[in-house]
Amino acid sequence: MTANTLVNSKLVCVALNDRAQLAALDETFNQPPYKKPPTQPVLYYKPRNTWSVDGAAVEWAKDFDGNEVPAMVVGASLGVVIGKKTCRVSVAEALDHVGGYTIVADYSLPEQSYYRPDIKGKCLDTSAPVGPEIVAAEHIANPDQLKVSISVNGEQKSLFPLSNMARSAAELISIISHIMTLQPGEIIAVGFAGDRVPVARGDKVEAQIEGVGTLTNTLGGA
Amino acid sequence: MRHARIMLDGRELEISIDCHDRITTSTGEVLEVALDSDRITWLPPVKEPGTIFALGINYADHASELAFEPPKEPLIFIKHANTLTGHKQVSYRPDNIDYQHYECELVAVIGKSGKNIKREDALDYVAGYTVCNDFAIRDYLENYYRPNLRVKSRDSLLPMGPWIVDTADIADANALQLTTTVNGKVTQEGTTRDMIFDVPFVIEYLSKIMTLNPGDMICTGTPHGIVDCQPGDTIVCTIENVCSLETRMVSEQEYYGDNY
Repeated sequence: MTANTLVNSKLVCVALNDRAQLAALDETFNQPPYKKPPTQPVLYYKPRNTWSVDGAAVEWAKDFDGNEVPAMVVGASLGVVIGKKTCRVSVAEALDHVGGYTIVADYSLPEQSYYRPDIKGKCLDTSAPVGPEIVAAEHIANPDQLKVSISVNGEQKSLFPLSNMARSAAELISIISHIMTLQPGEIIAVGFAGDRVPVARGDKVEAQIEGVGTLTNTLGGA
Repeated sequence: MRHARIMLDGRELEISIDCHDRITTSTGEVLEVALDSDRITWLPPVKEPGTIFALGINYADHASELAFEPPKEPLIFIKHANTLTGHKQVSYRPDNIDYQHYECELVAVIGKSGKNIKREDALDYVAGYTVCNDFAIRDYLENYYRPNLRVKSRDSLLPMGPWIVDTADIADANALQLTTTVNGKVTQEGTTRDMIFDVPFVIEYLSKIMTLNPGDMICTGTPHGIVDCQPGDTIVCTIENVCSLETRMVSEQEYYGDNY
């Protein structure tokens, strides 16, 4: 864990919140092991060993034999930063509990299955840079109208309008706050483009949201 | 030696408990209070909780009961500290569900940072052992990152404690009797010998993926004998030579009060 991480205590990520991705996987999700599409937000934690900051190097992962893994990918999301204790709030009051916004990058092994918790793929050291800063909530009129882009070595590889999310930021805050009480500084990464972006060792990756900032990291630091 | 965190007469204290049940605070003060005194409020025993790992389907008998093939790799999921509560505290049952069960589990508490830890060195990284009750709500299971956070990461549904026993005081963590009672009746009996993946294996496995840090916890799964629990039930999870963890179930409304 990086000492100056912007995350306090908890980083919850929402998977499968891109409508186009859900539609594309619909047939798969109606077969085993899934059997039916998810009825609830699909959530995972990036634990504290993953937390990192703007400008930091992201480690290239190793497999269980100690060899470098053949492929890694990155997704980027708006990070909703909780501003006050949030327990069982309604959708209507959810955004009143947001203190600010930031960017969460999620580096991982390629997403091959959503059936079991993806500890091997998602829990890699330094794989969750968050930043570059927290922008106060009052500066963002409507979080669901933002667009998240990812550029690799200066070339845009992904552009995800949050209006394409299956569930809005407010809906997610409400649902998650009925599972777990959220505390100030805890962050929810509300949605990633379904197509994660392949990265290679040495790549410079910029995750950008207009009005929130640019989160820049490089791949391959030890 | 055993280590715990308590509230006593309005003070939050870190205590050690010796083999004569004598309680000493971290500043050397001897407390004149019995371990079973109602004056003590037990807090979750890990002061700065890190990542909480929990294993699913990690007992051979439980795996066969659920008609699964015993897994070749551990099934590990993550819980957050919002789930933690202490000994003699309450856990809630959500409204409108059919099946919520306890899971009595041995917990290894990490005491030292490490990555790529070898199985034979793993216990050097364990500060001690405690007991948890890793409640699950089966109604909420979905086949996405299963067991999903809605099942396993709810407020109050990971009672832990009352204390941590030093690693050196447990001769063999793979030979401990495990018992759960509901309202005084034995409902679960097993032994940690039946664990599929033991603590050293899991430490080696996890630390190949990621750095483990002090305050991280590994909840090692539960054997067969799980039953539904209702508000008003008192559940006691016991692991021989480690501790007994008592939990009272309440309704969602009682638990959340004004936030309900």
